[in-house]
Amino acid sequence: MNFDITLVVPELYFLCLVLVLMIQSLGDREWKPVVEKWLPFGAGLGFFVAIVNYGHEGLMLWDVYRVDMMSQFFKIAIAFGFFVTVINAARQPTLAEGKRSDYYMMLGFSALGLMMLSSAVELITIYLALELASYSLYAVIPLRAKNKGAAEAGVKYILFGAVATALALYGLSYIMASQHTTYIAELMHKSWTFADQPMAVVGLCLFLGGMFFKLALFPFHFWCPDVYQGASNETAAFVATLPKMGAIVILARLAVFLKPGLEITTLLAVLGALSMTYGNLAALAQTDIKRLLGFSSVAHAGYIMVGLVSGTSEGLAAAAFYALAYLVMNLLVFWVVCRVAVDGRNLKLNDLNGLYKKAPVLAFSLAAGAFALVGLPPTMGFMGKFFLITSAWDHGYNWLVITLVLNSAIAIYYYLSLFRHAFTEDKTPDLTPAPDNSWFASAGAGLLAGAVLLAGMVPAPLFNLAVEAGRSLMP
Amino acid sequence: MSALTLYQIVALILLCAGLFGLTQRRSLVGMLICVELMLNGAGLSIVAAAQLTDFSATLGQLGTLFVMGLAAAEATLVLAIVVVVARRFGSAQTSDITTLKE
Repeated sequence: MNFDITLVVPELYFLCLVLVLMIQSLGDREWKPVVEKWLPFGAGLGFFVAIVNYGHEGLMLWDVYRVDMMSQFFKIAIAFGFFVTVINAARQPTLAEGKRSDYYMMLGFSALGLMMLSSAVELITIYLALELASYSLYAVIPLRAKNKGAAEAGVKYILFGAVATALALYGLSYIMASQHTTYIAELMHKSWTFADQPMAVVGLCLFLGGMFFKLALFPFHFWCPDVYQGASNETAAFVATLPKMGAIVILARLAVFLKPGLEITTLLAVLGALSMTYGNLAALAQTDIKRLLGFSSVAHAGYIMVGLVSGTSEGLAAAAFYALAYLVMNLLVFWVVCRVAVDGRNLKLNDLNGLYKKAPVLAFSLAAGAFALVGLPPTMGFMGKFFLITSAWDHGYNWLVITLVLNSAIAIYYYLSLFRHAFTEDKTPDLTPAPDNSWFASAGAGLLAGAVLLAGMVPAPLFNLAVEAGRSLMP
Repeated sequence: MSALTLYQIVALILLCAGLFGLTQRRSLVGMLICVELMLNGAGLSIVAAAQLTDFSATLGQLGTLFVMGLAAAEATLVLAIVVVVARRFGSAQTSDITTLKE
């Protein structure tokens, strides 16, 4: 079964981290050091371990587990996201005191599942890794003390998630029945036209549906705004970013089948176009910031599809790079949201008024995040969109590229309203607690904003990694 | 009609029953039962596809066992969340659980 322990060091490290958290959550609540004191260092070391392990390649465990450039790229992204969300959640005001180690254990399990997902190359393995990543998230959503919305969001998320899983499993059974294999490497050489293999095409569509649910692509998006709004700000920061990484890596692996012109590819393109249009139009009407970000992530899921339909390694590279950009931009915006809402309430757009006076660094960082989400230079979001557009042009889906550009124009309105509110006078008397203006809040926001700007000005090193990742998937 | 088609039709009936129930049931526990119906239908479809075609039968049975195990895990998780909902809302009826809107 060719097991090589050096290939899975990041996963093993995260497993150890989760086990330590599990022991702490079982033990006495008085145990020192408290989890927030040591976990950021543990998660930071995890990020370091993932970077060190970049460049390994190999097939493991009866060929169901493949370590390649793509998986290592996403493992670094996931470890980074986990690191930032753990620091972000360290001052969470709405988490009950006794549940802190359990909370981090669940987040850790989810990150571990996503790491395994990025290496899984067999459909049943993908299903198992996906469920490991999802179940721990389902449990985390309601952990917002005494909040009704959190419980509602939790039950909606898990029930819709179970339906999406069931549909994906029906799809899996049809792929099994018609293509007789579940290994991606073998499925790659099969025919995927509707005329030859109608049952397999229907099956793949259903299976992709399970991934679309994770990614919140239209029409599987309905949980997204509700869950963001209901969950606590810190939990939403995790749910909005990391699970998307897992879904995108699987879609990139499956996109290898999808040559331009196939029925499934066209379906993907149409869903992408609908998703960005619907997400952006719905976001225009929102006043709750997390709901707005929820619809914005529906739109971003549509943008990612542009990279997947072109059927080239450049397209996959652009999708991987955009996934990374999406991760950093959203971590930045959620960081600011969590710091402004020091008491853990849900923020309205009006709550941002006058932020530039109360917390200038946060206001500047929010502006950088908003500009990046729009896709204005010199930010990472601009470079991400640029790569997506150039990779997809002239591969048969030019209309999709045009839709993307038009949608970016619509999106300017609501992203810049974040910016506008942060930089206008606050006319109403202050009844809410002031934003966190400590060095901790400013340093985190400043570093993330710096990353967004730096990766936008000097994108080549990161993009080269993404290109390597894209090439490793193509036969 | 081949045996595989028959099994798939039965599985599809389970899927439709589950989806219908999911939209019609008024209680969260009822919705959970409908979801279980769909998941087990999927398990049936997978094991039928593995036994009656060239697909490796072992792998199919293994997959179905995983589906059954994870469905059970999911049920406990849903029930736990339903308990949380019932405590915070004082009800587990879908019509009462509507705070997340504009």
